[in-house]
Amino acid sequence: MEWALSIRSRKRWKAPALLLFLALFFSVIVYTFFILNYDPYLVNLEERLLPMSLQHPLGTDHLGRDVLTRILLGAKLTVGYGFMALMVAVAIGVPFGIIAGFKGGGIDRFFMRIADAFLAFPDTIVAIVLSGLLGPGIENLLLAIIFVKWVNYARLVRSTVMVERQKDYITVATVNGLSASRIMVRHLLPHLIGNVLVLASLDLGKIILLISALSYIGLGAQPPAPEWGAMLNDARPYFQSVPALMIYPGLAIVFVVLLSNLLGDYLRDKFDVKKEVKL
Amino acid sequence: MSVLTVNELSIFHAKTALVKSISFQIEKGEWLALVGQSGSGKSVTSAAIGQLLPPNLHAAGEILYENQNLVTLRASGMRRLRGKRLSYVFQDYQGSFTPFLTIGQHFEEYQRTHLRLSRSARKEQAEQALVSVGLKKEIYIRYPFQLSGGQLQRISIALALLLKPDILIADEPTTALDSISSFKVLELLARLQKETGCAILFITHDLRHAVKYADRVAVMKEGEIVEEGGMQQVLHHPAHPYTKQLIEASPFLNRPLNFSAEEVLG
Amino acid sequence: MTLLEIKSVTKTYQNGVEALKNIDFTLGERECLGLVGESGCGKSTLARCVLQLDRIDEGEILFKGIPLHNKNERKLKPYRKHIQAVLQNPSAALNPKLKIKDSLMDPYLQYGAQLNLKHFQFTGKKGYISQLLEAVELSESLSDRYPHELSGGQKQRVTIARAISIEPAVILLDEPTSSLDVLSQASVLRLLDGFREDFNLSYLFISHDLAAVQSMSQDLLVMKEGRIVDRFEREELFSEHRHPYTKELLSVFE
Repeated sequence: MEWALSIRSRKRWKAPALLLFLALFFSVIVYTFFILNYDPYLVNLEERLLPMSLQHPLGTDHLGRDVLTRILLGAKLTVGYGFMALMVAVAIGVPFGIIAGFKGGGIDRFFMRIADAFLAFPDTIVAIVLSGLLGPGIENLLLAIIFVKWVNYARLVRSTVMVERQKDYITVATVNGLSASRIMVRHLLPHLIGNVLVLASLDLGKIILLISALSYIGLGAQPPAPEWGAMLNDARPYFQSVPALMIYPGLAIVFVVLLSNLLGDYLRDKFDVKKEVKL
Repeated sequence: MSVLTVNELSIFHAKTALVKSISFQIEKGEWLALVGQSGSGKSVTSAAIGQLLPPNLHAAGEILYENQNLVTLRASGMRRLRGKRLSYVFQDYQGSFTPFLTIGQHFEEYQRTHLRLSRSARKEQAEQALVSVGLKKEIYIRYPFQLSGGQLQRISIALALLLKPDILIADEPTTALDSISSFKVLELLARLQKETGCAILFITHDLRHAVKYADRVAVMKEGEIVEEGGMQQVLHHPAHPYTKQLIEASPFLNRPLNFSAEEVLG
Repeated sequence: MTLLEIKSVTKTYQNGVEALKNIDFTLGERECLGLVGESGCGKSTLARCVLQLDRIDEGEILFKGIPLHNKNERKLKPYRKHIQAVLQNPSAALNPKLKIKDSLMDPYLQYGAQLNLKHFQFTGKKGYISQLLEAVELSESLSDRYPHELSGGQKQRVTIARAISIEPAVILLDEPTSSLDVLSQASVLRLLDGFREDFNLSYLFISHDLAAVQSMSQDLLVMKEGRIVDRFEREELFSEHRHPYTKELLSVFE
């Protein structure tokens, strides 16, 4: 329509902002790993609790380890594992949701009872209990997170599928003789990608927080692993004297969570085929 | 005597004119049909009269009602007119009702905004209104989803005419209904118009819905009124080629569809 | 030759409401059978049953003598390609996330080489799409658009192109013009009327608009409350013997 109102202009800054962040991030990585090149596990008690300097851009911790190196390595642990857990949760949840939503009937009822059972407990509590039962360690923590998170994707996908399958184009596809699997892949999947990506990028932040939180209380990554939550825990005794030790991992968490939320917003706009508000 | 005079009304989206300086009048108690295809600007014209344009459209020109220009009238003044002197019936009968309120509650809300009546008087008035549009009193306690499209559209008309407005603007009220229901709705509108003497501005894309009832017709195309005149005059002696096309494309009974006359639209 | 036979079909909903009661009719080759009724008369239920989307309780639905009713999806599949549909709301009948060309390819992708196309030739995706769009008098440039970028009339013509793309024997038209404006209605009816000859098609034309139906159909059925109350040929429309309900439908157009 000729009087469509564009909403895209307001969001134009998002992509360049994300790029800028990434560039900054990579230059820091290059400086740390290729120029300074510290061992993140090497204990050096002579250099403990040093303030900021060119050699130690963020100083050193209570065992004399370079904080910046540890935070950047921690990204691999925290973000990397978080991402992995997320992918597995999506890979389990999406097919489950499509099948339950499309087939309906007994399969759907069975699935819904499972989902209800999961949703009856808050994420955090279930994750704590599970990783407590399985024993501390990052792998068990990831299992616990996957266990809690896949339900969200299954539910989101199921409700989208239930709305879409009522529509005439699915009727026509059936009349055209398309098989159920083909309808799911060709006609339903495109409706889901956008929603799932948005939820996933927002979830990434939450999972990172969860990993850090559980590591902070000692259930996730074990010392000396430079996981951000574990680093927060390590720094706790020095909170009064060297607060920076707690602030840096904290900031790292905030930064990544914020980025993943921004990415979520960006993707939401990107996956909207109708890029305009119609009258 | 005209109740509403539209003078060089234009409606813009940014710099694009959707309605290009149109003028027409609605006489007291008459039925004026505004006919045109989707995108011809007929619906935005009707919306402009009640200041119901969406925020990205703006109107320029004059719409005169009792010496007030409705285009520039302040929001508070407009609110006093809407419902009481000027009311609407829309195409989307589903969307016109709040799904979790009963029909009675819809009447209540309307009456409490505009009238000072006791509770029992309100109920009686609402039930009378329902009966006057050919429905049962019991509908008062029903929810919108329990009623058919035709019934809901009758209720919208009962609500719209409750306060005896001077002008009723009906924006495609029959388009979403099947032919029998729309016939009944049209008959109802015609009867109520006789009883209350209100003027009707009837917006439609289907000339057939206007033929029997309208006194005058204005044909809109691409934001302009291309032809205006008495209904029978226009129907039998259309002057503009576009009007001819519209008449010939309408499937009337007892006449095979004139396929050659219709133009393929891009 | 009889293509479609509906024999005393009855369907009752779970709440006891009789949606269809003893529906009987046949549809022959190149015929257009009109079915008129108000909303809620059961004509959409009948459409769903004919398309094998809903089960029937009693009776038979035969295609060229072969029973189709209450078969499972796998056994139905060879017959699906013979009966296509054009529905009332073209915006809903096109997947909003697929480009026009992808929606148009849907039926062909399902049957591909099994098809013995007489009118269209499959000369690659692009050529096939442009033949389809040309048949419904749309510009080839629309193939890369999304449904929301097209007008209602254009979208309906795309769904017609999709229905004829695998050259079925029967197309069920469920209110194909009701959501369109008058000029688009006329062009859609004209296209459909032409395709009957061109593609050797039979139509079951379901609508509330008696005028639109009789402009295309030689034989008409009138349905009320799940039953067929009147059946006649176009010329007998104004005859004295019409059912009172048919007369009521007619009075709308006076």
